[in-house]
Amino acid sequence: MPQFPNRIHQLPDHLANQIAAGEVVERPSSVVKELLENALDAGARQIEVDIEQGGVKLIRVRDDGCGIIKDDMPLALSRHATSKITQVEDLERVSTLGFRGEALPSIGSVSRLTLSSRTESDERGWRVQIEGSVPSTLEPQPHARGTTVEVRDLFYNTPARRKFLRAEKTEFNHVEEVVKRIALSRFDTAVRLQHNQKPVYALHPAGDLKQMEKRVADVCGAAFVEHALRIDFEATGLKLSGWIAQPTFSRSQADLQYFYVNGRMVRDKLVSHAVRQAYRDVLFHDRHPAFVLYFELDPALVDVNAHPTKHEVRFRESRMVHDFLFRALHNVLARTRPGSTPNPVAVSDIVIPTAANAAPEQQSTFVYSSPPSGAPAQVRENMASYASMFSAAQPAAELPRTSESPPLGYALAQLHGIFILAENANGLVLVDMHAAHERVTYERMKQAHAGEGIVSQPLLVPVTVRVSEREAALADEQRDLLRAAGIEVDRIGPETMVIRQLPALLRDADAEKLLRDVLSDLVVHGTSSRVMDQLNELFATMACHGSVRANRRLTLPEMNALLRDMEATERADQCNHGRPTWIQLGLGELDKLFLRGQ
Amino acid sequence: MKLNTSRETLLKPLQTVAGVVERRQTLPILSNVLIAVSGGHLNMTATDLEVELIARTPVEGATDGETTVSARKLMDICRALPEGAAVEISESKGKLAVKSGRSRFSLSTLPVGDFPLVPKIEGATQFSAAAAQFRNTLARTQFAMAQQDVRYYLNGLLFEITSNQLRTVATDGHRLSLCDCPIEGKIAKPVQAIVPRKGILELQRLLGDGDERVAVTLSDNHIRIELGEAVFTSKLIDGKFPDYERVIPQGNMKRLVGDRETLRQALHRTSILSNEKYRGIRLKLGNGTITAIANNPELEEAEETVEVDFTGEAMEIGFNVNYVLDVLAVLTSQEVEMMFIDSNSSCLIQPRGEKDSRHVVMPMRL
Repeated sequence: MPQFPNRIHQLPDHLANQIAAGEVVERPSSVVKELLENALDAGARQIEVDIEQGGVKLIRVRDDGCGIIKDDMPLALSRHATSKITQVEDLERVSTLGFRGEALPSIGSVSRLTLSSRTESDERGWRVQIEGSVPSTLEPQPHARGTTVEVRDLFYNTPARRKFLRAEKTEFNHVEEVVKRIALSRFDTAVRLQHNQKPVYALHPAGDLKQMEKRVADVCGAAFVEHALRIDFEATGLKLSGWIAQPTFSRSQADLQYFYVNGRMVRDKLVSHAVRQAYRDVLFHDRHPAFVLYFELDPALVDVNAHPTKHEVRFRESRMVHDFLFRALHNVLARTRPGSTPNPVAVSDIVIPTAANAAPEQQSTFVYSSPPSGAPAQVRENMASYASMFSAAQPAAELPRTSESPPLGYALAQLHGIFILAENANGLVLVDMHAAHERVTYERMKQAHAGEGIVSQPLLVPVTVRVSEREAALADEQRDLLRAAGIEVDRIGPETMVIRQLPALLRDADAEKLLRDVLSDLVVHGTSSRVMDQLNELFATMACHGSVRANRRLTLPEMNALLRDMEATERADQCNHGRPTWIQLGLGELDKLFLRGQ
Repeated sequence: MKLNTSRETLLKPLQTVAGVVERRQTLPILSNVLIAVSGGHLNMTATDLEVELIARTPVEGATDGETTVSARKLMDICRALPEGAAVEISESKGKLAVKSGRSRFSLSTLPVGDFPLVPKIEGATQFSAAAAQFRNTLARTQFAMAQQDVRYYLNGLLFEITSNQLRTVATDGHRLSLCDCPIEGKIAKPVQAIVPRKGILELQRLLGDGDERVAVTLSDNHIRIELGEAVFTSKLIDGKFPDYERVIPQGNMKRLVGDRETLRQALHRTSILSNEKYRGIRLKLGNGTITAIANNPELEEAEETVEVDFTGEAMEIGFNVNYVLDVLAVLTSQEVEMMFIDSNSSCLIQPRGEKDSRHVVMPMRL
């Protein structure tokens, strides 16, 4: 019997919604993310999140935003219905967090959803329920201005999904992470999170920098803020602000990294590459930096519609963005030196209240007039005010030291030929002599080299390299960039290049490998710092050999000279390999050791 | 095997061959020296699988036999014995007994059969040369060999043999040195061979300053050089050496002639303040003078002017000063010629009045 081909038919709405839900709603935390973003888009100043049983039993998000007009409520629950964009041009400049109009119907198709809302002008609130894609009729419901979305029994009708849910605690951890991200993205909104009727977070709106730091401390831990460097950098319409942890406060996992583009949290390859590059020679091998960063730019220059979960974005000027991020972070990290940063290593959690150098100096003079990432639509106006603040803040970074004695104090003695003991206003300073001197030498070499520019050595016997046609074309195109790095190449065949000139310092390096690495960097990141990396590596080795070793007896004047050098050297808080060079043992800590004053 | 002889008879050949033995070994037999007594001669052989050295010494009243023992230990023992001491060595049951005066040593041996020997060389090109000239040729070129370059064929010295001369060429990709040496022998067709770096260094040590002739045998894979009581054998590098003729500048060039030693000393003094890592130095050529200028990252500067015979248009060129100094140091002539095209092209340095050696140095863009 001939098999009839299956007929083609339109999928029922309910099924289509469930399929869409598969993309958007993966677990309770994804529901929370969508609802929170909706609340923020509605301009909420206060958001309350109630979770029960990790979100499987109940997720309730209540906001005090603009609310939904009564007649729109049933529509809000149908697919592709949104108030956030109206025409295709709007996609070019998306300034809200959501815009696809998929979240509510998708969630509604896999749970029992209740939507209640009241707008400012309405006299009373209304409620609509949805269970399996069919909206109920509108019923009156007492409600304050704003919207409440209640999601019960998530995945009750999709057992397959339900089976894949993890333990209540795990699911709640995911929810918590989402709330953290949102909380860090909007300092002006109060956020409360309750799990099984127990409060987890109660974050108040943060107006000034101190309150913002309090919120960051609540979310990321107090240790992060203690070791964070404040960053504020703006150039050519791009702005980066936030906090980055000192290299010595690194993590074994990349779990404390929050990066917001126009208020939207992203995890982007380009961004993480730029960050890694900036941390390059200050971070200990295999450690991850911690940061909370806000990047703002013209919404037209970034495409957020690149990925269903909107975690990836596309920058129109990716190289410029990469350079900007790198430069901004690099500059701030260069400030990690004694006296300009908080104590680089947490000896204990005790904070010693001394005015001299307990907090980064530039913060005290900083006045914040608005939160770092208000509604992205306001970015333009904000930038102007930021610019004025930035110029005002600039000289503050170079404040003359207030205390009489230098930050690292004066040397007392040498311990076992390895450590320098010094005394400063706070107490005792321990310096790893070799690590410190290594950094000082290294920075000097880099500076000297930067002053000279790259000297190149033409080759008597040019090196022929077989490359792919694409790489060859790229090398042809980027000839100037290569030449600036001291490499000169010629294309002598479709897949053959000859290297005619190399940087003089790398004359003994493997020329072929160097060119290949540079080209592959250019292919992936559009830029390459490979030559600089190799030079820095060379300097690092030279610096290591050219620095004082353990067991070298130093006199007091020599030790003091090293301490002064450290204060004047960029990135002196870490050695070339990211290990700390000095620690502070405050008088308070010493007192504790001897049980004094207890 | 049994042998009664003096400390010096043992020590001299041991010291000759011990240089090839690598300090750290994965193959234990390679740290041993092969000692063979036969027909009134003592032969000592050491190898690192690339270079093999054999030293021969006549001995009297010896029982034939062969064995292998640690080269370093045997040499250390011989060296520590008093000068002129009589030594008796004998082998039995896998041990080598060394006796001298009231000292007794028992060294463990490894089977002779395991010792890797280079097979007989066949199908060979043969020629001979005066040892002094041969040595000179190596000295004038070997410094330009590459060291651990990925282009493995540059990590050695090219031997190019034509009917009546041996030409050696070395380059590390930045400079090139070439030297000719007259030879005697029947050469059917020109031959090229690359002798690895380690072999050349070992060979130079071996050549000493004797006046005899060296006999060279060249096969497809090996080179064997016999000089006096020593036989040197090395594997060849299998590869194609770059076409060196193409990189030697030719044609119309600006010529500078100067006193070699004066130039060398001036450059040497100036180089003290050049960048430690890439050793850049600028040379300013003017009417009848050359001025060397060096500066370093600490912003120190050195400058020295030397009178030379130069009548071209003034020019300025940068070099890695070590490359120039290396050349000036190995030459022996009173005066040198330096030929320039422009500041971006390579420079040719040769002894004045001698045509047998030429040196090319690439400039540096300072």
